[in-house]
Amino acid sequence: MSNSHLFLKPAFITTPGQNGVGRYVCQLQRVVLKFCKSHGASRGMREFIESDLINFVKNSPEVAVYLKPRRHRSPIIKAEYLNGETQWINASNFTQEEVLKWLFLVKSQASNRTGIRLRKLLHTDHPSIQGPWTPYLFRDPKLNLTTFPNEELSQADVQDETATVKLLKLFQLQKIEDLNEKRAE
Amino acid sequence: MSFWRQSLKLANRLISHNSKSIFHATNSRNFHRWVSPTLRELSRRRKIVGPDPEKPRSTYLEWNYDVEIHCFGKRVGENFDEKVLREAFIQREWANLQEFKGKAEDESFIPPQHNYELVQEGFKLIKDHIQDIYSKTYTIDIVNAVCDYLTTDEMLAHVAKYLGVKDLIKSVEFPPSTKTLADTFKAIVGALSYSADPERVKLFVNDFVVCQMNGKDVYDIWTPDNPYDYLLKLLQEKGITNVEPRLCNQSATNTILANYQVGLYNSEDKSCLGLGWGENIQIAKNSAALDAIQRIYN
Amino acid sequence: MSVLKRVQQWATFARVWHIYDATWQNPFASAELIKKYLMGLYKPIYHPMNDCGDHVIVINSAEIALPGDEWTKRVYFHHTGYPGGATWTLAWELHTKDPKMILYKAVYRGMKGNLQRRHTMQRLHIFPDANVPAHLLGNVSNQIKQLRPIPKRLDHMDPEVVKNSPKIFDYPKDYIVR
Repeated sequence: MSNSHLFLKPAFITTPGQNGVGRYVCQLQRVVLKFCKSHGASRGMREFIESDLINFVKNSPEVAVYLKPRRHRSPIIKAEYLNGETQWINASNFTQEEVLKWLFLVKSQASNRTGIRLRKLLHTDHPSIQGPWTPYLFRDPKLNLTTFPNEELSQADVQDETATVKLLKLFQLQKIEDLNEKRAE
Repeated sequence: MSFWRQSLKLANRLISHNSKSIFHATNSRNFHRWVSPTLRELSRRRKIVGPDPEKPRSTYLEWNYDVEIHCFGKRVGENFDEKVLREAFIQREWANLQEFKGKAEDESFIPPQHNYELVQEGFKLIKDHIQDIYSKTYTIDIVNAVCDYLTTDEMLAHVAKYLGVKDLIKSVEFPPSTKTLADTFKAIVGALSYSADPERVKLFVNDFVVCQMNGKDVYDIWTPDNPYDYLLKLLQEKGITNVEPRLCNQSATNTILANYQVGLYNSEDKSCLGLGWGENIQIAKNSAALDAIQRIYN
Repeated sequence: MSVLKRVQQWATFARVWHIYDATWQNPFASAELIKKYLMGLYKPIYHPMNDCGDHVIVINSAEIALPGDEWTKRVYFHHTGYPGGATWTLAWELHTKDPKMILYKAVYRGMKGNLQRRHTMQRLHIFPDANVPAHLLGNVSNQIKQLRPIPKRLDHMDPEVVKNSPKIFDYPKDYIVR
């Protein structure tokens, strides 16, 4: 059993400002790619900038991408969302594909979700279609006309025939047979 | 070697060498003793002074206003006329301040155009559209209530925030106030009316303002004063005149947690118009009336 | 929060009062039945933290029927905490002292021993006979069915019906019934 949930902040799924209901607005506002021009850890980042960055920018015109070359520092991807949160990803020794994958992840998110566990993987404004349960849902209306305590309602359900009932039935049958015999005579 | 000889050697070393070189400080890889008190004092001072004020994004090194404006247009999914869009973000106070500063240096300074007229036009467009949509099915008081709710400053500011408008606004105060954000949204709608045809403006208002009603109950925003009388009026228009309220169920009547269920029925065909519950029969009747009103509009 | 939402929650969590006649019923089996209503276990909204329990009024608790020889053999132990404070009370002795206690203890011991138990037991109202105060009886809206059917007593039946029913055997004419 894992204990990772213990120190994660719990949260529900929400869309900020009814995002998908009207039109979809990409919640990623801008991305800052910080890298070093010579250090080895930035190699993947540099390769990404040389090759895949143009495509990414063309395909996501709503995201402002900034490049910030900084000497002697590790490469960083800093993502800023529309709700004001920032996500800071250390891209040291990432490959070119990894940088692209992280950018896709960050573009699809609406906020920084590290350190947060989702309590439910679904959300609905209308959890009940037929209406929530009430104690009156399957209540017989004839109970409204009874005074309590009521003898008939209190009687236990009898499954089998009691011996008395069986005897009485036998007696009735016997009476009928006697009658039939008399008629036959 | 014998004990006495060893001790003599050690004594020699002690006398001849400099005391500094014998008693080396051993390398310590622990936290220094002054680290914890320093950090404690720093956090104490920070708590007294409070957090740093938020800095506008435009003060950072990586900022390009043109790129941000372009991205805003794409994010929202509309083709804006760039000049008009830039005007939409300029608040009147800021424009006046720039004019004042500019005129002080150079008499022929052209002040930037501000968004005051755009705000008025945009507000009118938003209100008209909301009223158009809702008047088709609902009565005037409901339409007015919904329109008022959707066009409050808080609501429009909330919408504007999630369009990424905060960093683009040119205003005197930072962070921009609720009113500023709301005005900017209205100005954007106004700018859109200059850049695209009215259909696109209506779609824009639909997608951003009207959709805030998603999942909201009408009764969160508006309640009729006398629900039962209101219902009777509505039903008269439909042709239903005989309405019979009946007590359907009750429980725990002599306690403070009493619950009554009242149903409203059409006397002619015995159909149920609405069901309601309440702590006493009057409240139950009113909520049954509200339920019936909701069912009419469904 | 709209009126309708508030009122909907009020209805879903409404407290229902039940009444149960304990005449000639096994108190331990009745306890299992009653505790379901007290805890609200029959409700689809049940959750231990939900406060969804109902009230149960039990009448005729003086007429309960213990199985077999439990009246003479079942013992209720109590210790006051002080030395020499142990008492062993037989069921029939306890019943004569307080006719509500056997049923009360049966329900109490039938529940799980958690912190909610005492709170839930406050919703149980036991009466030794059928005299229930009017303000409590007015709350009641449901009757809980008994578990065992009560046989009819011969001396409580209509004498005409008795005369016309078949007899398998009868006492000899000179038999004296003690």
